[in-house]
Amino acid sequence: MDAHADISDVLGAWALDGCGDTEAAAIRAHLGECADCAAQARRLRSAAGWLGTERVQPAPEELRRSVLAATRARRPPTAQVTLANAYADQVALLDAALARMSPADWRRADSRHGDVRGVLGHLAGNDALLAAELGLPAVPRPATDDGPALRVAWRTQADVMLAGVAEADLDRTVRLAGTGRRPVRTLRDALVQRAFETWTHRDDIGAISTIAPPGQVHRIVELAVALLPAALRVSDPARADRAWRLVLHGSGGGDWTVPAGTARVEVTIGADAADFARLAANRRSPRTMPHTVTGDHALAEAILRAATTLGCD
Amino acid sequence: MPADRADDGQLRERLLAGDDDALAEAYDRWSALIFSLALRITADHAAAEDVTQDVFVHLWQHPDRYDPHRGALRGWLCLLARSRALDWLRRRRTQDRCHAAAAVIAPTPPEVDDGVVWQAEAKAVREAVAALPDRQREAVLLAYYRGRTYREVARDLGIPEGTAKWRLRAALSGLADCLAAEGILER
Repeated sequence: MDAHADISDVLGAWALDGCGDTEAAAIRAHLGECADCAAQARRLRSAAGWLGTERVQPAPEELRRSVLAATRARRPPTAQVTLANAYADQVALLDAALARMSPADWRRADSRHGDVRGVLGHLAGNDALLAAELGLPAVPRPATDDGPALRVAWRTQADVMLAGVAEADLDRTVRLAGTGRRPVRTLRDALVQRAFETWTHRDDIGAISTIAPPGQVHRIVELAVALLPAALRVSDPARADRAWRLVLHGSGGGDWTVPAGTARVEVTIGADAADFARLAANRRSPRTMPHTVTGDHALAEAILRAATTLGCD
Repeated sequence: MPADRADDGQLRERLLAGDDDALAEAYDRWSALIFSLALRITADHAAAEDVTQDVFVHLWQHPDRYDPHRGALRGWLCLLARSRALDWLRRRRTQDRCHAAAAVIAPTPPEVDDGVVWQAEAKAVREAVAALPDRQREAVLLAYYRGRTYREVARDLGIPEGTAKWRLRAALSGLADCLAAEGILER
């Protein structure tokens, strides 16, 4: 079968997958050479694509969740990989730092949590909060406060979490870790927070400033900006609904206006992005963080003060 | 390339990049169509759900297999859904000969008026199908819903194979003209 007329005749059947395999192969070959038949084939195939849709009813509501979960299980979305990897990287870095600790290092004083063991116990406790939200198994704290045993328990919990989030729905809501209020946000935000807190405590135990990747700094700032209006409502209710702008330079920086889209802002605050991330962790104070203020100074101070309440301490 | 095809192309790029929001958008736009189509072919709720899932998993895993230059994503998804639904029907037929013997093309389900945007298009498709000459409609529905080849259509209807080929082509061509006149299909 090679004549153009023969092929043209059978295109309707072909558009409905109604030819034998040999015929279909001959047609495909012909369509590559004959523009007329190719155009006709496209037209008939498009028409066939509308058959079967004479009545449309919604799919069952619960199907959406199971379909999207099934797709994620086959191929993790990029956002999931990015966020999980950012957290996994911080876990690995902290673990490496802990692996080098001598018994004396484990007892090094920490102003918030007593010593390094206290810091790690605190971090593991906050990790466990998210694990519980996700219905993942809780890894028990070791009976002793031996540093290496604490390290194993924390690391095991983190690994449980990383395995658990691989197929989880990033848009599901969970409560974030926090000292007071625990805001309800997406799992996406909770993963940013876990990486953020792990990074912060690595700074704490090493008493050095480590470098967070720019993408991570950007996500931390993004989350901090999203949480700031609510924090401001608590710390300074009178200034809660004011309009402001944050311009952060350096890696991971950006430009945020709150509320989004406001035409006229009352103050613009400029700072380094990583510095601002540390302010949000309460590891810098508005006084020690270099920054610029254009506009209402009192409002700027209230915003920066509110930012220091966003971390997990 | 028409505007909606450019949208399809962008959606494909986002799917290739692993953007699951793009998949959720695709699901929200076309799940009703895919599910309804699968239900119409299989007349089985659970099977229609499975087919819907297969279609979107396939789209997510292989967005590269859709070529925007060849047609709209919507049509590509519908034909994929049809092919999966027919596979189910064939497996079922092998398992249950009696069931298959009794099977006729499921009657068009009652109209669901839920304000879905598809209702206007669905109506146009319904009218276009109804406007086909009876013999063409019979042949094309047999091929579409039962997955019959033109040879099987010829045998089922007791007509020469050449006539079956011609009816299938004429039916789709008439449908294309009608849908183009409604502005649904490009001319």
